[in-house]
Amino acid sequence: MDWLEQELAQALARKEPAAGFDARVRARLNRRPQWLAIAATVLVMLGVGEAWHVRQQEGQLAKEQVMTAMRIAGGKLNRVQTHLKGTGQ
Amino acid sequence: MIGLTAVRQALDFGELMREHRGMVFSVCWHFLHDRDLAEEIAQDVFLSLHKNLSGIETPAHAGFWLRKVAVQRAIDAARKRSRRPQVALEDVGEPSVGPAGGDPMLGGMLRRLIATLPETPRMAMILRYQEDLDPREIAETMGIPLGTVKSHIQRSLAMLREKLERRGVGER
Repeated sequence: MDWLEQELAQALARKEPAAGFDARVRARLNRRPQWLAIAATVLVMLGVGEAWHVRQQEGQLAKEQVMTAMRIAGGKLNRVQTHLKGTGQ
Repeated sequence: MIGLTAVRQALDFGELMREHRGMVFSVCWHFLHDRDLAEEIAQDVFLSLHKNLSGIETPAHAGFWLRKVAVQRAIDAARKRSRRPQVALEDVGEPSVGPAGGDPMLGGMLRRLIATLPETPRMAMILRYQEDLDPREIAETMGIPLGTVKSHIQRSLAMLREKLERRGVGER
């Protein structure tokens, strides 16, 4: 190493960060799970909301099917009743 | 297998942080000349280490990994910052712990001259003289060809000599 390289090695010597660096890193590490928990909660809430929505749709569909079945059964009963009346006369 | 597990268990995050924080912070500080940004990036590098600790096999691997990530993050930060207004180098304060020995005036001048270099030669010079890496190790860390590293260092040294001579600073 010549004089310039020696001066460079001294000028670029390692420096420590400000005191408390490790604690600041650990504080950020401890903050992370809170964000993870919030993200997880939001995801669960979205999942629950979606499941509730699907159930609502399924319930509505089942209701419509029951109503259609009743309408069909009612129509058939009317026809049978009409037929019976005709036979009686 | 048992030996590798034992080595992995021996890797303690706090110990790695104590051992390498000076190296990680200094790479960022010398490259960016912004203490707050250097601290933020150094913290990010250690958070990243914590996340990837299971993939680190030995203390030497941790040192290599940290240096490589610090280099990448510092370069990325410089690129992002180049889109924002910057503080003049003369206005930037030095970290509280100064270099041991050497001429402080000349040291400051050299750091300012190095800060004027383009990204790749600047980082190569920092790894050469801060970390005492040889050109092959620098090439491996930065992911660039060995010849490129050698030519960057030679040209940077020549530029520094020329600028120092113009300022009347020479061999003592």
